[in-house]
This record gives sequence, C-alpha cells and structure tokens, in this order.
Amino acid sequence: MKFIVSTSTLLNHLQTVAGVVVSKPVIPILETFLFDIKNGELMICATDLETSMTTSIKVEADEDVTIAVPSKLCMDILRSLPDQPVTFSIDAGSNSIEIHSGTGRYKLAGQPGADFPKIPEVESEKSFSIKAEVLLNAITKTVFATGNDELRLNLTGIYVELKDDNLSFVATDANRLVRYRRTDVKPGVEHSFILPKKAANLLKSSLPDSEAEVKIDFNNANAFFGFNNTSLVCRFIDERYPDYNAVIPKENPNVLNIARGEFFNAVKRIAIVANKTTHQIRLKIAGSELTISAEDFDMSNEGLEKLQCDYTGEDIEIGFNSRFLMDMLNGMTTENIKFELSTPNRAGVILPQENEEGEDVLMLVMPMMLNNY
Amino acid sequence: MHMDLDTFFVSVERLLDSRLEGKPILLGGVSDRGVVASCSYEARAFGVNSGMSMKMARQLCPEGLVIRGNSSNYMKYSDMVTEIIKETFPLYEKSSIDEFYVDMTGMDRFFGCLKMASESRKRIIRETGLPISFGLSENKTVSKVATGEAKPNNQIKVDMGMEKAFLAPLSIKKIPMVGDKTYQLLRNLGVKHIRTLQQMPPDMMEKVLGKNGLAIWKKANGIDHTPVLPFHERKSISTERTFDRDTIDVVKLKGILTAMAENLAFQLRRGNKVCATVTVKLRYSDFNTYTMQAQIPYTSADHVLIPKVMELFERLYKRRLLVRLIGVRYSHLVSGSYQMNMFEDSEEQIKLYQAMDKIRLRFGDRSVMRASGVEVRSIGRSNPFNGDAPILLANRRE
Repeated sequence: MKFIVSTSTLLNHLQTVAGVVVSKPVIPILETFLFDIKNGELMICATDLETSMTTSIKVEADEDVTIAVPSKLCMDILRSLPDQPVTFSIDAGSNSIEIHSGTGRYKLAGQPGADFPKIPEVESEKSFSIKAEVLLNAITKTVFATGNDELRLNLTGIYVELKDDNLSFVATDANRLVRYRRTDVKPGVEHSFILPKKAANLLKSSLPDSEAEVKIDFNNANAFFGFNNTSLVCRFIDERYPDYNAVIPKENPNVLNIARGEFFNAVKRIAIVANKTTHQIRLKIAGSELTISAEDFDMSNEGLEKLQCDYTGEDIEIGFNSRFLMDMLNGMTTENIKFELSTPNRAGVILPQENEEGEDVLMLVMPMMLNNY
Repeated sequence: MHMDLDTFFVSVERLLDSRLEGKPILLGGVSDRGVVASCSYEARAFGVNSGMSMKMARQLCPEGLVIRGNSSNYMKYSDMVTEIIKETFPLYEKSSIDEFYVDMTGMDRFFGCLKMASESRKRIIRETGLPISFGLSENKTVSKVATGEAKPNNQIKVDMGMEKAFLAPLSIKKIPMVGDKTYQLLRNLGVKHIRTLQQMPPDMMEKVLGKNGLAIWKKANGIDHTPVLPFHERKSISTERTFDRDTIDVVKLKGILTAMAENLAFQLRRGNKVCATVTVKLRYSDFNTYTMQAQIPYTSADHVLIPKVMELFERLYKRRLLVRLIGVRYSHLVSGSYQMNMFEDSEEQIKLYQAMDKIRLRFGDRSVMRASGVEVRSIGRSNPFNGDAPILLANRRE
C-alpha cells in the first residue's frame, strides 16, 4: 500500500515524539516508530514502556496498515531531503518500507506493527483541563530543580498536587526546591502524583505556548495528556514524596530586596572564579551592601562584587552553590525579587517581589556549611 | 640537594636522654606486632633495618634497647630543622618528616652551593644537635643516592657531569625505585651494579619492567627532571590501624571505624575540603587484604560518612576470620564546604558539628567524640592540609 505525505509535516510530527525513543533499548522494537494508518489518518507512536507519545496527521492513503519503522534511519532520510511530497510504499508481508522522493528511492527494513508494545489506555478516574501555556510555564519553572539520584527515585520527578481550588507543582533535589502554585486553576479534585522528569521534559518541548486546552486524565498509576493532535501517556513514579511543606521555613526575619537581573549577573560573574566542583560562593550582607565573593583554593582564583541593596535584618554571611542560585534567579520572571534569610545554617527563600496574577512562586535553597574559624 | 636527618627518631631520643648514646636502639612498636621505625647504627651492625618486625629485630639484637617513641617530639624537632632550611634556601620540599630537597639553582653565583650547603648543615647540627647528611648534585635522584652514601653525618658533592660515574659502582638497590621485588628480578637477570643498568638499552628495560623500567633506567643514568615542589597537595586522607592481637570483636571494630571516620571528617572540615569517595580496607589474619569503595555526593558531614563507612564494612567483612588491620580513606578531595540537605540535615546538627570542630581546634582532635570511639587510642593526627608531605610510617616505606 502507499501513502503520500510532505517531508516537513511528517518530520515535524516525528520530532515531537522522537524524544521518547531511547538509544539501545532493552527490546529492539522500542527503537522504532509505529505507523498506524486508518481511514486516511497516520498515527505515529513511540514508547519506552514508561512513557508513550502519539501524534496523528492526515495522509493520502489507499489502505489501512500498521508497521514499525526504524526511527533514526527514517528521520535522517527525511531531514536530508528538501521539503517535498514523498511516497511511502509499505509491504506488510515482507515488512519493508520504501520511500520515494523526486529523485531517489530508499528501502528500509521494518518490523511487524503487531509486535509494537500496546500503548496503555488510561482508564480515567479523574480528569481536569488546564491551558497549555500555564502547564508549560509550570513545568519550565520547576523541572530544573528535580533530582538525578537514582537512589532517591521520588525526587526525580515533579510532584503535582491537585487541590480543590489550586494546583501546585513541586520539584526538589534535596538541596533546592521550587513550588509553583496556580490559584487560578481549579482542578476540582484532590489528588497528587509524581510526574517523571522525562515526561515533564517531553511536555515542555511539545506543548504549544498558547491558550489551547490540555486535557489531563489520570488514575493512580498513569496519566494521559491530550493536546492538539498529540497525546502523552506516562506512568507515575510510584514513591512517596517527602513532606516538602515541613522544610519551608515559616519565619525568615532577614529580607533582601534586590533587582533580579543585577543580582543574577553579579552571581554569574563571581561563579567564574568559584571552585569548578562545588561552585561555592559567599554572600555577605551588612547594612545596605551585599558582597558576593568566591575563592578557589585549588587554583588560587578569587573574585568579589559589591552591590547596593535594600536589606532589613541582622548582618549575615552565608554560603551557596552558585549554580543553584543562578538556576533560581533565571527561573524567576519578575524584575525584583525578595531573598529571605534567617541564619547561615538555614534555608534561604527566593520570592518574586510581586507575584503575577494567578501565580504563587516560591524557591528555596539550602546553604553550604561555611566554617569561619 | 637532598638532606636527610640520620636515624632521626633515635637522634631525637638521644638528645632527650644522653644515656642512649652509643647503644643499640630499636625504636618502634613495643609489642611483637610492632615494626622498627628507626634504629641506631649500633643496632644496624646486628643486621636490623627499619621496617623490620620488632620480633625479628629483638632476635637479631637481643641487647637492643626498645623504645616506644613519641611522635610529637619528632614533629617539634622536624619543625626546627624545617625552620632553618626555610630561612636559608629559597625553594625547598619537605618530602617526609626527616628528608628535604632543596633547589639551589642560580645560588652558585652568589654563595657557592657547596659552601652554602655545608654551612647550613653545620648550622642545623649546631642549633638542633641532630646529625644530618646531604648529597649535593644536579638532580633529586642523584642527590638522594649521594646522601645515602654520605651517611652517617657527612656530606657528598657529585660534580656536574659526574653523575653516571658516581652511580656506576653502586648496587642497584640504591636506586630509589628499586624495592625487593625489582631487585630480585634484576639480580636474576645478572644485574648487580648500576653500571650494568646504564649499559642496558632502555627498550630492554621497558620490556622487562614495563613503564617503570624506563624510569629506573633514567634514574640509573642520573637523569631526573622532577622539580622541587614546595607544596604537596593531598589527594586523599586516610588512617589505618594494625591490632596488637587480631580481633573478631565486631563491636570493637565498628568503634574503631567510627572513630576513624569521625576524625577524618573533622580533618576534611578543618581543611575546608569535601570528598566524594570513601574506601574501607580490611586485612584478615591470613594477610588477605580487601578494600571496597563507594562514590558519594561531595560531603564532609559525619552523618553521611560514618554510615557509609559502616555500610562498606558490613559488605566487606564477610569471612568469619580474625581481623589484623582496618583502615578508612577519603579521596577525590575538593576545596569547598558541605552542601546542606533539606530533608536529612537539621540546623541543630550543623551547629553541633561547628561547635565540636571549634572545641577540637582549641583543645585537640580527641577532645570531643562519639562514645563508641572513645576507647580507641592513637587516631588523632596532625593537620593533613598544611602542605607537608604525609608522614611516612616505617612499615609503609618502599
């Protein structure tokens, strides 16, 4: 059977789902895309058994067929062709795929479509919808803070907490934490789950930055995200998330008000001379002067910046990982921020000076233990 | 130039107690398990060497006086000598407690190297009362060999260009890299004197001994370009302990490991370092030695390191055998402080570490510790991060 499709359209859709495909998977068929053609519609699926993505396009097809197509080869061919219509000839009997371009012909060995793992269907227990741009923003602002430690699997995802009248996204690697809360989204259900980092990153790269609605169906084990012609099904991380509320300090009497850009740039400059492994920098606030400094004893480099700031509280000297600080300041969008501190051994909290409408952002960073003796 | 204090530990003991003059002295661990850390020339006449077990040394030299020794006295005298060398020479390297390398490049124009070296040697002898020898030559290896030849309490100058001729008649054992194994191997090949090594083609040395062969060949020919380094960067810190009597008492073993892990963690914090690798070493009574290591996120916190050490020990201690030695090593050291963890650390805990470290800085390493390690003696150590080379124990010498 044959179908005709434009290279750029197909490539676009393949790129959306290609992020799911892992290199060197346990079973070879996971390195393929499933092409499922039914009634002139091509469904493209990719899965790693935990996360699956599906997208569909209209094609001119004469028959229905399913086949698994080698992902890398197919994309490499399409990528190197100019934008033009190409004809796919699929022989389901011999599992071969032929791609005819204007001047060329490529024949690839596929695998039977029936061997492709079945994409789980989410038997929805609960569901809600959210604007794509809101979800995109929430993921972008939290995913960087997720952990990478395989031994602490529960921290390797974004904790999504649904309340009757608000929705929170929390990410932490035990050294820093981001809580992004939307008060204008009312899921109407009470539930929580841990969204794996991979699924979050896939959503981040495929969600449109528009007001389009994303429909989320979920049960205790899986979630289904549907938007445009694309859907993503993922399994949650089946672990208990730590009680993050307990670590957010209730009282931080020392408050530093500062322009975000200025602070960020100063930290960025100082970080250049900080130790390349620990990224340690020192903040010293006395009166209305903030001194940021770093020294790398191994290389004998050091640097110091002095900034004017608006500070209320006792003088303090505190150590931080400059990477963490930069990630957080970068994640903030407001012009001015509040940096709340209490003692050199307690968490610092970064807040926007004024939250944008419907948003409530809180970032927390643990200090480094400075010894001043 | 290489300088070496003759029978340093014994010399210090003799300064403190003149009755020891002229007697054979064995200094080191007093028990049968102990090794001879240093011995006087009188004792060497009996065939005793440093590094030999005390039991054997006693058999060889029954009239030898066995002394336990006190490391803080040695440190004090070593520092006195260091101070003089520091004042006299522009660039020096303290390669162990009793050995120094001095770079005198360019000094000839002003002072005359030999004159300067002899004068400083006399000054050390005069001011500290300790015998010292030196070898003066173009590079480190030849100087070190020359010092060995100069001893006791003397000096040798090997003129520029005479290095090969100086080394040629000596035994191959005198080359710093040649230990017992290499010596045996080379002797089996019929090589006895450095002269033979000098004449061997370097390719052949490489074939027989691998990379080291080439290095040994270079040294035999008096070629050595290693610079005199004033500062030693520590790549790891470690401590280990051999028992007087092998033990199977797991509670005791764990107590010792706790004390070791705790003390080393304090050393890390004092040196403003964090480490990423923990290694535990275990030697059973049959001399089979096992080590196990684990990677961890950069840390210097007791409550991360001690459980890790315990975990490694549990995994390592599988055989129901008596244990002869245990040790702990922290490596992958980087300057920096401990990054706090919001779920595992509390402010109280961090404050506790800071308070304990302050007490230790003021009253000594062993002034505050976990109760399980309180019975363990001889673990406290000097600051490993002051740039000095680690103190070589006699039993670890090559």
